[in-house]
Amino acid sequence: MEEKKQCKGCGGALPFVIGFVAALIAGWVLFPDLIYSKKIQPVRFSHKIHAEQGLDCASCHTFRDDGSFAGIPTNEKCAECHADVVGSDPAEKVYVEQYAKTGKEVPWLIYQYQPDNVIFSHKAHESLECTSCHPDMAKNDTPPVYYQNRLSGYSKQTMKMWKCERCHAENGVSNACHVCHK
Amino acid sequence: MSGHAVKEFKVTWGMVIDLDKCTGCGACMTACQVENNIAPMADASNKMRTLSWMLVFELSNKKAAPDAEIAYLPRPCMQCGNPACVPVCPVVATDKNEEGGIVSQIYPRCIGCRYCMAACPYHARYFNWEDPIFPKGMEKALSPNTSARPRGVVEKCNFCHTRFMKAKDKARQEGGNPEALADGAYMPACAEVCPTGAITFGDLKNPEHKVHELAKGENAFRLLEKLGLHPQVYYVSKREWVRKLGDNYAATGHAGAEKKHS
Amino acid sequence: MGLDRRGFVKFVVGGVAGTLFTPVIWKGLDDAAIWSQNWGWIPRVPKGEVKATPALSKLCPSGCAVKVKTVGGLPFAAIGNADNPMSKGGVCPICAGGAQLLYSPARVKSPMKKVGEGKFEAIKWEDAEAMLVEKLTSFKGQDGKIAAISGDETGTANEVVSALLSGLGNASGFCVMPGEMYTATKGVKLMGGNGQPGFDIAGADLVLMIGADALDSWGPSVANQKAFAASHPTGAAATAQFIYAGPVLNNTSSVCDKFLAVPPTATAAFSLALANALINAGAVCSASDFGDYKALAAKYTPEAFEKATGLKAEALKDLVARIKAAKAPLVIAGASFGQGAGALDFVAGASLNVLLGRVGQSGGMTLLPAAPKALAAATDRAEAKDAGSFLAQVATGKASPAVLLVYEANPAFALPQADAMAKALGNIAFKVSFSTYMDETATLADLILPAPHPYERFDDAMNPYGVAKPTYLAGKPAMAKPVMDVKDPVDVLLAAGSKLGLSLGFETYADVIKAKAQAVGADFDTLASGGAWTGEGKGGGLSLGAAALAKAPVAKADDKAVALAPVTKLACGTADLATPPANLLTIRDTELKGKDLFVQMNAATAKKLGVTDGNKVKLTGGSGEVRARVHVNEGVAADTVAMLLGFGHSAWDQYTKGKGDNVYKILTVSDEAGTGLKVWAGSTVTVAKI
Repeated sequence: MEEKKQCKGCGGALPFVIGFVAALIAGWVLFPDLIYSKKIQPVRFSHKIHAEQGLDCASCHTFRDDGSFAGIPTNEKCAECHADVVGSDPAEKVYVEQYAKTGKEVPWLIYQYQPDNVIFSHKAHESLECTSCHPDMAKNDTPPVYYQNRLSGYSKQTMKMWKCERCHAENGVSNACHVCHK
Repeated sequence: MSGHAVKEFKVTWGMVIDLDKCTGCGACMTACQVENNIAPMADASNKMRTLSWMLVFELSNKKAAPDAEIAYLPRPCMQCGNPACVPVCPVVATDKNEEGGIVSQIYPRCIGCRYCMAACPYHARYFNWEDPIFPKGMEKALSPNTSARPRGVVEKCNFCHTRFMKAKDKARQEGGNPEALADGAYMPACAEVCPTGAITFGDLKNPEHKVHELAKGENAFRLLEKLGLHPQVYYVSKREWVRKLGDNYAATGHAGAEKKHS
Repeated sequence: MGLDRRGFVKFVVGGVAGTLFTPVIWKGLDDAAIWSQNWGWIPRVPKGEVKATPALSKLCPSGCAVKVKTVGGLPFAAIGNADNPMSKGGVCPICAGGAQLLYSPARVKSPMKKVGEGKFEAIKWEDAEAMLVEKLTSFKGQDGKIAAISGDETGTANEVVSALLSGLGNASGFCVMPGEMYTATKGVKLMGGNGQPGFDIAGADLVLMIGADALDSWGPSVANQKAFAASHPTGAAATAQFIYAGPVLNNTSSVCDKFLAVPPTATAAFSLALANALINAGAVCSASDFGDYKALAAKYTPEAFEKATGLKAEALKDLVARIKAAKAPLVIAGASFGQGAGALDFVAGASLNVLLGRVGQSGGMTLLPAAPKALAAATDRAEAKDAGSFLAQVATGKASPAVLLVYEANPAFALPQADAMAKALGNIAFKVSFSTYMDETATLADLILPAPHPYERFDDAMNPYGVAKPTYLAGKPAMAKPVMDVKDPVDVLLAAGSKLGLSLGFETYADVIKAKAQAVGADFDTLASGGAWTGEGKGGGLSLGAAALAKAPVAKADDKAVALAPVTKLACGTADLATPPANLLTIRDTELKGKDLFVQMNAATAKKLGVTDGNKVKLTGGSGEVRARVHVNEGVAADTVAMLLGFGHSAWDQYTKGKGDNVYKILTVSDEAGTGLKVWAGSTVTVAKI
């Protein structure tokens, strides 16, 4: 009798609670880590060093004559300074030897990669600071880890539609579908 | 009709298509297909399955030889001021809410119910019965301006909307006003390629744009005007029989023109 | 303490409940939705810088001056070049889909040699070139053993091919595919003149096109369309009239102010009846043979006009009144499908320009002086043999070449009596096809040498047929490297020549074109960046060609046969090009449905033939036959059936192979009295229900 009762007591809500807590831990702590695979950039590019040379964002991330945004510069731009090794950083040597000299473009991982059905104009957002949307890279010495969602394939840092819409709404800018979609 | 009022915008992109200049050569259809990444179909003669955002109809005066006459009528999406397709969409995948008055169609949002296709009297909407599969390698020649649509969604002409966005960016870059583009700064692929210049494109409300006057010309008309959808596409023809065919919906009990699918 | 079943269930329930308070399900659903937007088989669109590079797009016969739009260096579209006088910003339907043709499934990907009936094996370029040199070496110096067929009307490549043949002792082996430039130049000779005729459409206030489909498939069609557009401003009065007289209410005539349905057998009769009516209305000219011409034309009375054309005499009267009222009328004569017309058909039409005093005038007919050559040893184009006559000789054994070079041509498909021509090719032991696509001729060849797409090569165009002034265009590659393992045919031939000890003075086609530009007096770099060179057209004392016209055949009436009017629509492809993938949509389902091509005729003709809309019929002409379905179309002339050319391919790709039937098979060739030319524009066929 006593044993039975004890057993009932030891059961009680405990397994439920253990399961509940375990799920919370798995869901809040493990899952966000597991859903992303971690990738590092092919070259350890230091924004900090470049910023210290007096370069600003627009020195490399330029607009083309047609108003389109060139995004991450290609070899053509990088090689203006790095056709040969000019510094002592081993990462630069990697870039020069593996990419600049071979003509191969660096397969940079793009944190803010958007799907084909989105059209985003940097030109239209030119009045904003880069850091309103992007992390302040000027102080960044090692590129952040690229977290890729194992299911959707997108980077963790990719801005999602609700963020675009919220800012547009707050600033009285149209949220018409065609403003962002193609 | 639908009880919805005509939506007014400061800028209203529109076309004036001169049917007396269209030779039916098909360059507009080809340029449209290229710009909008429409995959070639093994049997393009099956017009129930083809996707032709721009379609050139053949009109006939129905007279026997030697008095027979034909005319060609390019039909993009009319971008109606009071579109029939928009209120029927259960998921707001299509809307007319952007400055410029172009009726949008958002493919990832579309559930493929095709109510809009049934509603559109111009047959300007198309359903993807198949995935956009290009022959090997041809995907390298895709246009950057339009996303590829999967099977199961509806699509239509959007006046090459990405070109509008790019024209605005160019205006910003050059210090111009993106909300008041110059005539010709933004042109859809069909208007740009047309070898006879039959398609004039511009802001119907801007007196500096050619379409502003042309749309008011004595020979200008719109298709099925009596339906009250207020299309933003106008046609011009000096031929009376062609103008009459523009409004041939069952008022007399029989259609005036047998329109042949191209 | 063990965990019993009840405890386990509680644990699982707790786990599920707990999960609901974590982001797992909601984030998973969201991510899955996004994943479903990006299925792997849906192609991604390219990103990168968009540029526009000038190029000469010789996909259509006259060549379009385009700007190739590239993204990240790869072409994706073509737009017009507003600065080029030939294009003025317009593009023809074929050139508008040029980028997609780079990746056509029909492209020849590497050199190939035949290893059995219809079987090919990919080989290396050095082996392929060695094979070519070996064959040419064994027949070098033996006249009649080496021949070439060129399908390029305007390129300096022809000079290289013909000069190479001369060097190999086979100067007479250079043949060209049929086109109007050839017959028209002969026609000018019959009128006592010299040179390629040109037509100043832009300067005329009345353009009468007899047969010539000038706003779609004849001549520099985009330039013609631009001239038409300039005279027909939207929303204002037109400043010129365009009149079309031909067998079919086609693309050109759909926008013309007047369409006159003239059967293809009555072209010359139409022109001469018009001449007679104009003379009766007071037209005179100072040509020495005016008297003879007048007497000859007098036979073509309004009654004869009615009989020959099926039109009413009032139509002729109205036409005369329009021409009399015009300040700068222009007559363009040509076959409605761009080939096969006799020189006499041309003379009959062109003589109207002489009669009206329009030769050498602004808005009139001009004569283009012969262009300077880059290679002195090259054959003049007008001296070349026509490929059809040559293959007819091969079929009968009158000619027995051992090696045939085919450059940018598809003689196995695009010559009258196509099946017989393809068979004749079988009599030639070694055939080399320089082709971009796996066409019918390539599938019959022993060696296939892939040629570059226009965006991948240097090329040029001298005096595309129809231009009013001497015109020269040139282009260079619009992309960094070719998509396939190709070599320029001219480079291959120049290299082969030098191995055979024949130095033609150039190493590459680019050098040849630069020399040509210099000879012409043009700047190559300007041309390659989208410019054009134009010279001055001239007049010349042309006669009315009365002596030649006296021999013009009178159309014979045949109760069983009807006239066949092949129709060319540029969008459906050309003699060298099956319908490109981006043009498939433009074909109507009253032209091609599934695998059935339609034969078009008016209701009266259908009644006469005992057929109705939708019937399946067999058309027979010469030794060939084609099958089609009937479509009643009131735009076809009396006693005439019309069919689209360019279908019924047995090679090419999944988009064109086996679609429709090849109308070339039922075109019958006859000898033109007095000129010795082969003609097939007035072919007749019998139609039987099946």
